[in-house]
Amino acid sequence: MPNTLEVPAPTAWPLVLAFGTTLLFAGLVTNESLSVLGALLMIAGAVGWFRDVLPQEAHDVVPVRPELPAAVTSRRNVARIELAGELPRAWLPLETYPVSAGIRGGLAGAVAMAVLAMLYGLLSQRSVWYPINLLAAGFFPAAVTASTEQLAAFHLNAFLVAVLIHLLTSLLVGVLYGAMLPMLPRRPILLGGFIAPLMWSGLLYSALGIINPVLNARINWLWFVLSQVGFGVVAGIVVSRHERVRTWQRLPFAVRAGLEAPGLMHEHPEDRGE
Amino acid sequence: MTTASIPWMQSDVARRPLVERLHDWVTTVDHKRLGILYVVYALVLLVVAGIEAAIMRIQLMAPHNDFVSPQVFNRMFTMHGTTMIFFVAMPLVFGFANYLVPLMIGARDMAFPRLNAFSFWLTAFGGVLLHFSFLGGSGLYGAGTAPDVGWFAYAPLTAKTFSPGHSTDYWTLALLVSGFGSIGTAINILTTILCLRCPGMTLGRMPLFAWLSLTMAGLVILAVSPLSAAQMMLLVDRYLGGHFFDTQAGGSAVIWMHFFWVFGHPEVYVLVIPAFAVVSEIIPVFSRKPIFGYPVMVAATVCIGFISMSVWAHHMFTVGMSPAANGFFVLSTMAIAVPTGIKIFNWLATMWGGTIQFRTPMLFCTGFLFQFLIGGLTGVMLACAPFDWQLGGSYFLVAHFHYVIVGAILFALFGGFYYWFPKVSGRMCSETLGKLHFWLFLIGFHLTFDCMHVPGILGMPRRIYTYEPGRGWDAWNLWVTIGVVFQGLGTLVFVGNLVWSYFEGDRAGSDPWDAWTLEWSTESPPPVYNFAALPVVRSRRPLWDLKHPEDPDWKYEQ
Repeated sequence: MPNTLEVPAPTAWPLVLAFGTTLLFAGLVTNESLSVLGALLMIAGAVGWFRDVLPQEAHDVVPVRPELPAAVTSRRNVARIELAGELPRAWLPLETYPVSAGIRGGLAGAVAMAVLAMLYGLLSQRSVWYPINLLAAGFFPAAVTASTEQLAAFHLNAFLVAVLIHLLTSLLVGVLYGAMLPMLPRRPILLGGFIAPLMWSGLLYSALGIINPVLNARINWLWFVLSQVGFGVVAGIVVSRHERVRTWQRLPFAVRAGLEAPGLMHEHPEDRGE
Repeated sequence: MTTASIPWMQSDVARRPLVERLHDWVTTVDHKRLGILYVVYALVLLVVAGIEAAIMRIQLMAPHNDFVSPQVFNRMFTMHGTTMIFFVAMPLVFGFANYLVPLMIGARDMAFPRLNAFSFWLTAFGGVLLHFSFLGGSGLYGAGTAPDVGWFAYAPLTAKTFSPGHSTDYWTLALLVSGFGSIGTAINILTTILCLRCPGMTLGRMPLFAWLSLTMAGLVILAVSPLSAAQMMLLVDRYLGGHFFDTQAGGSAVIWMHFFWVFGHPEVYVLVIPAFAVVSEIIPVFSRKPIFGYPVMVAATVCIGFISMSVWAHHMFTVGMSPAANGFFVLSTMAIAVPTGIKIFNWLATMWGGTIQFRTPMLFCTGFLFQFLIGGLTGVMLACAPFDWQLGGSYFLVAHFHYVIVGAILFALFGGFYYWFPKVSGRMCSETLGKLHFWLFLIGFHLTFDCMHVPGILGMPRRIYTYEPGRGWDAWNLWVTIGVVFQGLGTLVFVGNLVWSYFEGDRAGSDPWDAWTLEWSTESPPPVYNFAALPVVRSRRPLWDLKHPEDPDWKYEQ
């Protein structure tokens, strides 16, 4: 360890230059003489600053204090968890569902939810198109004034928009289930089938008036919650039946990114000269 | 070269006269002292801007109130917004970065120490110039010639015709001066991180704080430069008869909006990314777990940085852009929620299964997580153009951005204060006062900004001076004002805690939190040279490796 070290020497010239710059501008709102003073200070500050660093930068030499004692911790033992197996550290979660499980769960849930929603349409308005039109109504301003008969009829645009919304949302939620269910490994259906749909329904209950006023005005919340629970139970069952895979957290980033390089991939026997 | 011993770094020398000590402070080029100067400056202006906010809230506490005149009210909200963004929030994040980045990456100073001092003084004098406007014209009574055009200073309101006198010039000139300072600081942070890392500190091993500061610095350069350019154009319009923003002479007011928001929205990320940085350092230490998904956190941050440059026009949905433009900015704004959501999940995953210690820094970070989630969700709602048409001009939007700026950024920075105060001062902050501060501020925050959403939804417009009774806004506005009182009390406790702890707090030692990054490997407060010998790093948690040679991190990181 050295006995002394060089550090940049303190200097007032940056302060003078900054003050000059400010006065130069301040003169525009006060008095021109301030701008003149500011310009002079700027020149002085710049010259002083240059002299500080040219031809050689000014340094102070400071004495170095004795080295600190080595870092210590009161926690001498590393926290370990039983499930970790060969891993000595708490990398969590150790397992998760593959993305494909989430996609399949989302699609299965989408079908279940669609069946329940169309059943509601049939029972309440004798039309499977009614809930479909309601879902799409947020995208069509004219739907605000649509009659029940109009909403019960088939409209191609509304159908396409509703299918798109339903599929995208279902896939997204399905993938989320895949990521979240390992967090509650013992009761996946409780989280996926009931808690999440209830929370989601509560959130929509408070916001639907703004997002989709047509749906909000005509919605039957009992059927809505039933449809959500239907989605959750089916998606949860489908997802949780998939085999879980180990997470990659402990692997080097290069391996996780799929880079192929010697040492990171299995080599062919012929490459090894065998 | 001069040879000297620096008195302030030695605790055993006799205290020197005040003038000499002040001289040391104003001539310093040490990044730690400049960091402290930034933070103290920001705290002083936090109190000033808080008083301005309190004046507004007293005015709006009841219908038909005449506590201040409409003109003074306009000046208050302009000065409050401008001060908070440019002279409180930015100096705070610059102060944290200035102090911590070199220590965290094992450097002895910033890359350009004198530029660092110059940048600080520009920022400081910019704020002085802005507030000097209170003394112009009719003096403090009547708020002088303080700017009254909002912190966004929309053209053509800022043209000479509609804004005679010098109030708008104060705004433009002060921000121009501080803008130069901000750009200088950002260049310094960027260069320091890229060029001065200690041996072994690869980009993949940098603390997240350093990565996020790097992103923040890049954003500052990209965002503040257009604002400075626009302000020069405005000065040309006002002083030299230019017509950049003069719609009567072929100019365009919308260009100002584009210039301003090209700065204005990334600016939100300039402020929130350092808040992320603070949280990313505190949560792992107080959960006793490494950060979950380090590479993903870095990637998400860089992603946020890039996307944030393509979302500015969501502030302009009501201007009348084409549906295609609206659609693009709706999608890009919503897209930014994805990397942001990833970060929230990763913080939660870091806490999950950890041994959480709810000390004051961790309490503030927990508040941050909750409030940032809500602020982010209302942000996604406002990203929908039709929703924005309804509520963008209302108090709902005011509530949304305060949820982010106060509920997320300020909470995280408060956590950072409590976390790094022992390193800066060598003393521990009082936990009792810290927790009192947390609860007072939390209650005050939620009273103020939760309640503020409701009059917004009920149609209360932004920036109004007073309102008619009987619209359902009265009680909500009263609650909002009561919340401000709680926040004010919390802030007083905070400042009192800092002062008391500085003189009376328990000795901290070099590593009071049993932390993992390099700043905790040196003394508290650190010596002027930071490290007697430059550290050598082999993993993302170098102190863990030192403390646990039997199970070092580098075994796992490779």
